[in-house]
Amino acid sequence: MTVQYPFPAIMGQENAKKAILCALANEDINGILIVGERGTAKTTLIRSMEALSGEKEIRTIPQNVTEDRLLGAIDIETAVTEGAVCLSPGILAEGNRQILFVDDINLLREEAVHSVLSASETRRIVIEREGFSDNVETKFILAATMDPAEGELPFCVPDRFDLCVRLDRIEDEEMRIELLRNRLLFERAPEEFSAAYEHDVVSLRETIENAQERLPYVSIPDGHLELISNLCLELGVSGQRGDLAVARTAKALAALDKRDSVVFDDIKLAALLALEHRRGEAPPPIPDTPPCPETDECGDPPHDDSHKNTGSDGPGTRTVPRSPQQCDAMESSEGTGPAAAPHDTESVFGIGSTFEVIGYLNEKSKIATRRQKSGRRTRVICSDRSGRYISFRLPGKNKNDIAFAASLRTAAPYQRFRKKRGLAISLKASDLREKVREKKTARTILFLVDGSGSMGARRRMVVVKGAILSLLTDAYQKRDRVGLMVFQGQDARLLLPPTKSTDVAVRLLRNLPTGGRTPLVKGIVEAATLLTRGGCATPEENKTVVLLTDGRGNVSSGSKDPYEELSDTAKKVAGTGIRFVVVDTEEGYPRIGMALKLAGDLEATYFRLEELDSGRLADSVRGLVYGEE
Amino acid sequence: MTDEMPVYPFSAIVGQEDMKDALLANIVYPSIGGVLIRGEKGTAKSTAVRAVADLLPRRRVVGGCAFQCDFLDAKNLCTSCRERIAQGETLEPVAAKMRVVELPLSATEDRVVGTLDIEHAITKGRKKFEPGVLAIANGNILYVDEVNLLDDHIVDLLLDAAAMGTNYVEREGISYSHPSRFMLVGTMNPEEGDLRPQLLDRFGLAVDVEGEKDAGRRAEIIKRRLAFERDPAGFCRNYDAQQEEIRQRIERARTLVAKLEPDERLLRAAVRISLALGVDGHRADLTLVKGAAAFAALAGRSSVEEMDIVTAARLSLPHRMRRRPFEESRMEFEQIRSVIAESYACP
Repeated sequence: MTVQYPFPAIMGQENAKKAILCALANEDINGILIVGERGTAKTTLIRSMEALSGEKEIRTIPQNVTEDRLLGAIDIETAVTEGAVCLSPGILAEGNRQILFVDDINLLREEAVHSVLSASETRRIVIEREGFSDNVETKFILAATMDPAEGELPFCVPDRFDLCVRLDRIEDEEMRIELLRNRLLFERAPEEFSAAYEHDVVSLRETIENAQERLPYVSIPDGHLELISNLCLELGVSGQRGDLAVARTAKALAALDKRDSVVFDDIKLAALLALEHRRGEAPPPIPDTPPCPETDECGDPPHDDSHKNTGSDGPGTRTVPRSPQQCDAMESSEGTGPAAAPHDTESVFGIGSTFEVIGYLNEKSKIATRRQKSGRRTRVICSDRSGRYISFRLPGKNKNDIAFAASLRTAAPYQRFRKKRGLAISLKASDLREKVREKKTARTILFLVDGSGSMGARRRMVVVKGAILSLLTDAYQKRDRVGLMVFQGQDARLLLPPTKSTDVAVRLLRNLPTGGRTPLVKGIVEAATLLTRGGCATPEENKTVVLLTDGRGNVSSGSKDPYEELSDTAKKVAGTGIRFVVVDTEEGYPRIGMALKLAGDLEATYFRLEELDSGRLADSVRGLVYGEE
Repeated sequence: MTDEMPVYPFSAIVGQEDMKDALLANIVYPSIGGVLIRGEKGTAKSTAVRAVADLLPRRRVVGGCAFQCDFLDAKNLCTSCRERIAQGETLEPVAAKMRVVELPLSATEDRVVGTLDIEHAITKGRKKFEPGVLAIANGNILYVDEVNLLDDHIVDLLLDAAAMGTNYVEREGISYSHPSRFMLVGTMNPEEGDLRPQLLDRFGLAVDVEGEKDAGRRAEIIKRRLAFERDPAGFCRNYDAQQEEIRQRIERARTLVAKLEPDERLLRAAVRISLALGVDGHRADLTLVKGAAAFAALAGRSSVEEMDIVTAARLSLPHRMRRRPFEESRMEFEQIRSVIAESYACP
C-alpha cells in the first residue's frame, strides 16, 4: 500500500508518540484516542503505527460502514453458489490481531461507535441478527482521531478509551520550518524520504517487541498501586477504568524502558496520557465564549482597543465593554442617558459580553454534566431518501427505498428451494427490506428579542446582545439554523429568516435598535406562526424559540387586557410542540415577575439573565436544546 | 463528456484573474488541494470550472482499471489492480484525459462511495463492487456546486476520502478500497450559509469573486457570451490559439514545479505568517509554499520570488484566518506583506 510518513520523522508531539508506543507494547490497553484541531497530523500519526508494529495491519473503519460489514452478516455468495448458510465476518472480526482505525470518530454513527468500543473492551463480538447467533473472539488495537471543533463524542465514550492525547500546533518557528521541509520532501519522494528513517523505525520496532516480551514480568509495587488510586480520586475520575488504564500504561512504559518494575515517573507520565480526559473536578474551559481582548494571546495594545470601540460600526468589529465608560462609548451618538431610554426614541446598543465567573461555582458540577451532554447532536430517522443508511426493516406501504443487499441476505438461505428463472437469486416480496436512514438534524433556533424601550434601561440590551452572540457562536459550530425576530412599537419583525449564515445574524444584531412599546403577544404569535409554517423548516427539525424579554407586554391586538391576552396566547402556543426558552431580562427590585408567569404559560424553561452570564446562558440553553435524548 | 457540447473557453473569460490563477495553480500543483470559489450568482464561477476541463493535461493510468489508477504510483492501487498484479499480470499504461466530475447535491451515500452491484448479485450470485463518484473522481477534478448546501453526512464521506487519499468501502457485504485523489473544487454563495470549518480547511485556496464593476468590461462579457450562444463551435475556434497557449504554459509550469526547490526564505516566510496569524494546524504553511511555487512556475520562473508568496498568501490564507466565528482576523494583509518582505530582506 501507500508509503506512510515515518513515525520517527513526526516532529514534537512527544506524549502522543509515547502513547502510541504504549498501545503497541501493551495490547491490554483499550484504545487510543488522538484529539486535535484540523491539520495537526492526527491521521499521519496513526497511519505510521503500521510500520512500527511489524506484522499488524491497519484496517480502516470508514464513515460509510454499514452494520453488516461492521459486525458480520450472512454471506450471499456461499448461500447462492453452495446453498450453505454461513457468516461473512465483519471488520471487527477481521481486525483480530490487527489495528483498527477510526478517523473522526465523533462523526461516526453512535451505534457504530458503541459496537466498536464494546468489541474492543470485551474482546468479543456478539451477533444476534438476521437469524444468526454468534459469538466471535477478537482482539485488536483501537486507534481513533477526532477534531473537537466538529462536535463532541457522546457522553461516556471518551472514558472508554484508555489513552487520550491532544495534539497541538507546533509554535516554534525553527521546528515548524523543519516540519514543512520534511513534509515537502516526503511528498516529492516518499520512498527515499522514508528510507532515511528506516533504521530508526526498525529499532523502534525492536524496542516494542522486546517490551511485549518483557511485559508479563513487569510488576507494580504495592505502594505505587495506591498512588494510582489516590491520583484518580484526587482528579475526580469516576469508575475504575482510569486506575486500570494508568496501571496498564505505566507497565508499558516500564517495559519500553527495559525495566521490570514500575517507577514513580512511569505513573506520572501514564496519568498524563490516561487521565487527562477523565478528570472531573477542574472547571471545563469555555471555548464558546469569545475571549476578551485583554486576555487575547495576540496582546493587542490598549490604544488599539479604544480605536476598535470608537469604530464600532466597522464590519464585524466586536467590542467587549469592560466598564460603563466603554459601554457609553459604544452607544449611538444620540447620547441616551444610562438610566432609562425614553420609550419613544430608538437607540442602538453595542454588543456586550457578560463573561463572568462569579456565582458560577455552586452549580459547577451541574454545568459540567450539561456540557458533556451538549455535544450530542440530535439524530432523526428520516422518511425521505436523504440521510445516512443505518439499518433496515420490514418495509411499510411504499416500497421505494429498498435495502437490496439486506433483501438479498434475507433471501439467501432459501435459494436452494426456489425457482430461479435464469437468475442467480430469486427474490420474493417477503424478502424485501427497506432502508432506515438517519440524519443529523439542523435545529432551528429563533431568537425572539424584546426591543422595547424598557430593554434599553440601564443598557440591558448590551448584556442581552452579548448573550445572543454567545448563542450564535454556538449555533455556528453546530451548524444550526438561526433566525432573529424583534418586537417593538406595534409590530414583530423578522429580521433574519432562519439561516445557517450566522454572519448575517451578527451584523443584524449589532444594529438592532431598542425603543418603543412592547407588543409581546404579537411577537409570540409571529414566532410560532413562522416555525409551524412549512417551508421554513422541514418537519423533522427541532424548533426552539429563545425569548428574551422582561415580560411586560403592553400592546394588545384587541380590546382585551394585554396581560390576559398574553396568558391566553401563551397557553395556546404551548400546545404547538415548539420549545420555548424564556430569558427574563427584568432587573432590579421589586420584581414584577411577568416573564416568570409567561414562562409558566408557555411551558417554557425559564432563566433570569442576572444569574446567567453569557457563557452560562449559552451553556444552559445548549444543555436544554441538545442535552436531552 | 465535453465532446458533444462545446464549453465556453477558459481564455474567453473576462477578468476574475484570481479565480483563474487559483484554478491554474491547482492544475500545475495538484496537491495544493483544490479551490473554493465564493461569490454571488452569475460571476462565471461554474463557467470557469467547466472551462478548465479543456486545459487539463493527459495522464497515464492503468489500462482496464475502472478507477483509473495512476500508472506511475504503483504503491497506491485499487483492490482489483492489486489482485491483477498478484495473479502475475503486468499492468499496461494508457493515456487518459483529466476531467471534471460533478457531485450533485442530491447524491446519495451509496452513489458517492460506491456499493454492492445489485444487478450482478442477482444475475450472477456474486458480490461485485459498483464504483461511485469518489471512484470516478480519482485523478480528476471533483466539482461541487453550492458546496455549502451539501448534506453533512456526504461532507463526512468526502473528508474521509480526502484525508486518506483512499476510499475505503465497507458496505453491504463489500469490502473494497481504491485510490481517490481528486482536486476538490467548490463554489458557493456565502449568503446562503457557511461552510464547515473542517471542509473549509480542506480547500487549498479560496477566492472571492465579485461581479465586474467596469461598464466597458461588463459589455465585453455580454458581447462574448452572446457570440458564444450564437455559434458555440465557431466561437471556440477563435480561441483555439489562446487555449493552446495556456495548455503549453501549464505544461511548462508542471515541469518547473517538479524541479523547484523551496528555499529557506520561502519556508521561513510561510511559517512566520502562519504563526503570526495563529491559523489552525499546519496545513496553511504547506499550502502557502506550494501555492507560491505554482505561481512562480506559471510565470515561467524557476525560483520563487516575493510576489509569488504575496499572491499565494492572498489566496490561501483568508479562509483559514478566522479561528473563531465572527472574530476578525488579527492581522491585516499589509502586515502579511511586511512579514514576507522581512523574511526576504535577510537572505
